[in-house]
Amino acid sequence: MNKNTLDTYKAIFKKFVDWIRGNQLAGVTAALVLIFIVSCFISENFLTVYNLQIMVRSLAFVGIIAIGQGLLLLLGDIDLSVGAIAGLCGVITGKFAVTFGVNPILSILIGLLAGIALGMFNGLLITSFNLNAIVLTIGMQTAYKGLNQVITKGRTITGFPKSITIIGEGSIFQIPTPTIVLLIVFILMYFLTRKTFYGRNVYAIGNSIETAKMVGIKTKKVRIISYGICGFLAGLTGILMSLRLASAQSSIGEIWVLPSIAAPVIGGIATTGGIGSITGALIGGSIMGIVSNIIVLGGVNLYWQQVLNGLIVVLAIIFDSFSRKLRTH
Amino acid sequence: MAVLEARSITKKFPGVVALHDVNLTLEEGKIHCIVGENGAGKSTLVKVLTGLYQADEGTLTIEGQEMNAHSLHDSEVIAYVPQELNLFRFMSVAENLFIPFNKTKHTSVFYEKRKMEEEAAPYLKRFNMAVSPGDIVQDIPISEQQLLQVARALSREKFRIIILDEPTTSLTKSESERLFAILRSLRDEGKSIVFISHKLDEVFSIGDHVSVLRNGELVGDASLSDVDQNWIIHKMTGEEIDITKNYIPAEPAGEVLLEVKNLSGYMFEDVSFSVREGEILGFAGLVGAGRSEIMQTLYGYRKKKRGEASYKGQSWKFGNTASSIGNGVIYLTEERKTHGILPFLNVRENIGIVLKDKISAHGVVVPPKDHAVAKKVIGDYSVKTHSTETKIINLSGGNQQKVLIGRAMESTPKVVIFDEPTKGIDVKTKEEIYRMMKELAEKERVGIILISSEMEELLKCSNRIITMYNGRVSSEIAGKDITQKQILRAIIGLSCTIQGSGN
Repeated sequence: MNKNTLDTYKAIFKKFVDWIRGNQLAGVTAALVLIFIVSCFISENFLTVYNLQIMVRSLAFVGIIAIGQGLLLLLGDIDLSVGAIAGLCGVITGKFAVTFGVNPILSILIGLLAGIALGMFNGLLITSFNLNAIVLTIGMQTAYKGLNQVITKGRTITGFPKSITIIGEGSIFQIPTPTIVLLIVFILMYFLTRKTFYGRNVYAIGNSIETAKMVGIKTKKVRIISYGICGFLAGLTGILMSLRLASAQSSIGEIWVLPSIAAPVIGGIATTGGIGSITGALIGGSIMGIVSNIIVLGGVNLYWQQVLNGLIVVLAIIFDSFSRKLRTH
Repeated sequence: MAVLEARSITKKFPGVVALHDVNLTLEEGKIHCIVGENGAGKSTLVKVLTGLYQADEGTLTIEGQEMNAHSLHDSEVIAYVPQELNLFRFMSVAENLFIPFNKTKHTSVFYEKRKMEEEAAPYLKRFNMAVSPGDIVQDIPISEQQLLQVARALSREKFRIIILDEPTTSLTKSESERLFAILRSLRDEGKSIVFISHKLDEVFSIGDHVSVLRNGELVGDASLSDVDQNWIIHKMTGEEIDITKNYIPAEPAGEVLLEVKNLSGYMFEDVSFSVREGEILGFAGLVGAGRSEIMQTLYGYRKKKRGEASYKGQSWKFGNTASSIGNGVIYLTEERKTHGILPFLNVRENIGIVLKDKISAHGVVVPPKDHAVAKKVIGDYSVKTHSTETKIINLSGGNQQKVLIGRAMESTPKVVIFDEPTKGIDVKTKEEIYRMMKELAEKERVGIILISSEMEELLKCSNRIITMYNGRVSSEIAGKDITQKQILRAIIGLSCTIQGSGN
């Protein structure tokens, strides 16, 4: 290799390192690209329109709920009842649309309003009585799940009107509708957290709630609104899933609680608050989505899938920590 | 005999040379002071000496043996007392003293509470500490916690050298004297001490030798008997600063802005005072006398018990920080790190957070306005920062304080409460802050309340001084006709009366 090309490679490498240093999302983005490329080689079925559609459709559900949770994590808060809220909202929409025969679109709106209310109720209790968010929302998770059973009496609600199930099942220009909803949610939430003063307040509270109080931020109000937004997004996820399955059942949502936290954390949001971004939550969710997809495609034994899933998440976090080190030194 | 010798120490961080070719010789049985402005490299040097950082170049020799970061850490020859309190707040005094237990005498597998508390007693006695070994750390006063931190470092048996990084920031004069007495006796036992401080009077009262750092380089190295304060300040700043200059606003005070009547709250009772346009009102007292609590209550951060206040002739609304700021009353906290800055946000975001109306429209941030205000504050208050996008945690303490003052001034306040504004800040920046306060009072006609534990600072800046003892106002002194000489005399006199009432 002659000296010139070596220098060019060195320059490219240096640019790459500088980019990682300058960009908070660089490490995790690089990990996403790497995992994507590797996946292409592992299975020839990976890079097909059909598989990509499956992947982004399931990403939509985890992604929306993870963005909501990410917002709370930025505040230094958390809501472990997002799964129960999702399930309950799906059931409420189903109850209105199917059992009561209410206008389907109106039923969806009622479900979404319920999500906001349930989330805000959590926030109200946490901020009013100065409670630990983890403990409170574990309790509320059980309560919301119980409420779900009360409404459904343990039975699945089926027979959703075709006019709305299309939102869960359909596609526009080959892109699944839930994925389009995810993109809209992402753009709105990006704007909210990055471009508005509300977003500034969220980061401020996550950095130091005492400082936030000192500079006159109404911390209680900001936190309750954020719990409401998270509840809304959890409800939206649950309703979308019900529309996808054309049925509502009490168990919908449970599987999303852990990914809703893992995705933002992989994407660089500190669980202590104040650091990271909504974009990170989406990238983190994408990494998890690709990994679980390629494990299935790669024909891994069902029992080993979970082990691999966990290990690769850990690997992504190590990669991110490494890039963080590059930035600080 | 030299216990520690550092030769040509250089430490680089990306883009910065934190230390350049620094030499340091620590003699046995001597107290060696290291002084320098914020960001001069003192902390980096200490981290190299304690093995937290490995130097890029240079050698470090302890008792004739060359050391690297790893062997330094293992040898435990250095006891280090960091600047910030890092005690286990929910554990007892004795447990804090001997943790980690395997490094001290407590190598038994079982936890022997009584034995440990018995062994803790002599350490506490040596420091004259008014706490018992079983007390939980968060329940004892901050000053005792600071002394406990020193005692903990001394509970390591093997140490020959003790390094203290600004150990007196939360101590009163008499508590500092207690600490100095212990340091002197340690020195007489043959231990070597490295003492880092911003307070030059302390350096002269305790030190044998001084090293001065500026911009990562050693610019002065002398025996303290050969030099005076002006020499050190000249070396530190590279320029002449007249530390005898005063900053008392010269214009006569105007209308009463804020009047407090019989206010009671957490830590204080029945406090009355008023502050006028264009004056600096000093508040003197011991740590824990209730001065900060009064101001925080007034500002709305704490709840009041009884009493009232009026502002510009109207009844004052308590309990709402946002409306206090809106009305033009601003409190600049003593706890800059935990209650002042948003550490992981950048300088621009830290400035904008209090200026919603200036930088946003209908709740949406307008980026050009946002950047313009940040640049203005950085320029007006000569904040040393790489850019508006630098995380504030990476700025020195003095520059963080300038950002906090600057952003407060952007909202054109009428009353500003400075709570220990120069805590942990170097001489040059101190003078800048005094000058800012004087200008605010004279030009903007702001009423300023200054809480300070440094007698000198109060006398240098205040038109009037209110002294507090145990949550109550003990006296009020008008300082407008005191001359330079009388001020110096009053420092001694005043500090005596305050300490007298403290006993």
